[in-house]
Amino acid sequence: MDKKLTTILADVFGLRESEIHPDLNKEYVDNWDSLKQMDLVLSLEREYDIALEIPDILKMASVSGIIEVLKEKGATLED
Amino acid sequence: MKIEGAVVLVTGGAQGLGLAIACHLSALGATVVVADRNADAMSSLPEQMGRYQLDVTRPDEARKAVADITEQYGRISILVNNAGVIFSEPFVNIMNPAEMMHDYQRFRDSITVNMDSVFIMTSAVVEKMVRSRTKGAIVNISSISACGNEGQTAYSAAKAGVNAMTVTWSKELGRLGIRCNVVAPGFIGTESTHRALKETTLKHIKESTPLRRLGEAQEVAQAVSSVIENDFINGVVLNLNGGLTI
Repeated sequence: MDKKLTTILADVFGLRESEIHPDLNKEYVDNWDSLKQMDLVLSLEREYDIALEIPDILKMASVSGIIEVLKEKGATLED
Repeated sequence: MKIEGAVVLVTGGAQGLGLAIACHLSALGATVVVADRNADAMSSLPEQMGRYQLDVTRPDEARKAVADITEQYGRISILVNNAGVIFSEPFVNIMNPAEMMHDYQRFRDSITVNMDSVFIMTSAVVEKMVRSRTKGAIVNISSISACGNEGQTAYSAAKAGVNAMTVTWSKELGRLGIRCNVVAPGFIGTESTHRALKETTLKHIKESTPLRRLGEAQEVAQAVSSVIENDFINGVVLNLNGGLTI
């Protein structure tokens, strides 16, 4: 998985990097609430130099959803 | 002020922090009357405590309750405004674009139950105190959220309002021998705290607290009795949070 994305997710949600995988979703992360979602959006926009709209943000309810959005926005991700 | 022999009215005293405060003051020799909306919870109060079913957001009910209690017990010398409901809602919910902003009615409701209730009860009790020349003490239970806690616009505003009202009243009523103080708990390990917050959040709170633990209800009750007993404490917001700042 993309190292930069793993670091962002670990920082925002207070997780260990080893806990982060594409199947992880908001149901399994206790503090993945709307405030953390805003932190996540701002971190992704800053680190990948992209702009996210509301429909993008709604898709980002799982790590795989976040990867999908980042790819749609043209971000370069490591496998 | 001596607690022994005082008549104390504790709102929201049937459960949680309020119950701990009521039991502590009763153990110190006060005559305690609990006013609570929850009749079921009041049915299991210790026998020696008085009880009065009351919605503290209704001024007419509050005035009647204070009149009835005063008639039965002779006076109310101490009021502990503990009734309230923790409420959390983010100001902006980016994950719910159809209703993205904090609902105004829920904001108003939280202000009513957590701040207006303190005004209503204190107004009813102080009127009786002033008319009967009774000296006394008002203790308002606020919260660390009064400093502004993310995700709690309404609750934080209400508790900050409680702090401000209390300091104002301490200046107005001190000359009448009525002292007004706040006890502002941080995170206390009550059932309602465990209901309101996830275990991971509580773990984070403990790690962020210099004393590395949650507070105990008994410690809040002790803070309440301290501000009652010390006659030179007036207009104080006593923070009880193990050193945690938010």
